[in-house]
Amino acid sequence: MSQGSSAGSPGEAICVVPGDCLCAADDKHVAGKGTIERSGYIYSCLVGRVYTQQQEDKTELVEVRTGQEQNIVPTAGSVVTAKVTYVNPRFLRCEILCIGETVLKHKFRGMLKKEDVRATERDKVKMYECFRPGDVILAKVVSLGDALSYVLSTAENELGVALAHSEAGALMVPLSWAEMRCPLTQARELRKVAKIPPEDVAFRLARSADRRPRRRLSPGATGPLLSIQHTADQPEVQAVA
Amino acid sequence: MCAYMWAPPFSAVSTMELLSDQGLRVDGRRAHELRNVECRLGVFGRADGSAYLEQGNTRVLATVYGPHEARAAQRRHDVASINCQYRQAVFSGWERGRRAGGGGDRRAQELGALLQNTLESVVLVELYPRSQIDVYVQVLQADGGTYATCVNAATLALIDAGVALRDYVCACSASVLRDQPLVDLNSLETSGAPELTAALLPRSGRLPLLEMSQRFHVDKLGELLDVAETACRDVHTILNRAVRRHVSARSSEK
Repeated sequence: MSQGSSAGSPGEAICVVPGDCLCAADDKHVAGKGTIERSGYIYSCLVGRVYTQQQEDKTELVEVRTGQEQNIVPTAGSVVTAKVTYVNPRFLRCEILCIGETVLKHKFRGMLKKEDVRATERDKVKMYECFRPGDVILAKVVSLGDALSYVLSTAENELGVALAHSEAGALMVPLSWAEMRCPLTQARELRKVAKIPPEDVAFRLARSADRRPRRRLSPGATGPLLSIQHTADQPEVQAVA
Repeated sequence: MCAYMWAPPFSAVSTMELLSDQGLRVDGRRAHELRNVECRLGVFGRADGSAYLEQGNTRVLATVYGPHEARAAQRRHDVASINCQYRQAVFSGWERGRRAGGGGDRRAQELGALLQNTLESVVLVELYPRSQIDVYVQVLQADGGTYATCVNAATLALIDAGVALRDYVCACSASVLRDQPLVDLNSLETSGAPELTAALLPRSGRLPLLEMSQRFHVDKLGELLDVAETACRDVHTILNRAVRRHVSARSSEK
């Protein structure tokens, strides 16, 4: 048993079980994820391996990592990816699929109120001109909300609709912050479009090299496509799609 | 001794036969010895955590789902709620379908609530606000000490699910027969002697659960608790070894 043993150096990793004492909780060691501090000692609360990490203030963060997917929950301020399930004039409901980069195993329910759709002219927002059911949106968690769902906000340029399908069923191309166009019918539809910062242009161009229609893309893959929106209303945009 | 339905048909089990003059019990164990323990972790792919545990002929399957978003009725804004369901299979007892009821069974509901209390003392519920952890235990074969086995199996399943725990929680049954304390009773002994079930957090020495099927003399209680605690520590050693074996097997697969 590793009872009473100290947390290993970064190279080695000791296997621990819940209740194992890792080290004393003094001014050099801080309890991190997977550990609990109790009566002056740091104990493990998961099965896994111990890792220590030097922090800026010269303390060591003691963590237990399981090597499996961690169960995380949305917290205020985290950016989430969600799919719209229901829209009415006052609010929409959605299912939260990812928190940051992490894909969730279990979905959480979110709610976006009309006032939180955009930062300016908040009273003139019409929900149906911003979101439709089925859209994939990026949003920020405002608060844990009521008992039923997390309260979200898209009141930033980088937040809003990331992926949307037109009435014809095709994945739409953004034109401006408020409009998207269907590549099949050329019909324009209104959305509150997210300006997604270009991260992986090369990756996106490589994916679009084969012209098979892709109905479902991961939100990351559409980044550069959407980034073209602000360069304007040009035919090249369509060619990329 | 009355032979009620839980006892096998051939029994007019007397207290004498339960513990021979040589100090051996009906299944050949000494008074302080546990039954053989076999366990496996991660038996189901679909569940977040699962475990199968055998203690002698008592066999229990435990599955854990979550932490996931809680239903509105169960949601608590600051901590996770633990939802436990205890089920005993109809074929688990001596007589098919008697006593071993489904979810509507009073006893099953009571044991589910008891299991929930026990687990709430060990799961770090404050880490998972507004979520729910479902624990389902299914008794496949009941041969005494079912509740203790369920607690142990639930602990293993929670560990497999990666739910943050304060400690293990280990349970064992104990009794006293002719001034001799016994641990880990089988069903013959359960029908012939009063039974005490204790759950222990081995590191802190806390007892989250103490249940008695009948009354004990208060003079015996202290001794009995000591014996039960030692047995729980033995169970802890065995479970700990199994968990470590499982983890090292899992990491060598990668």
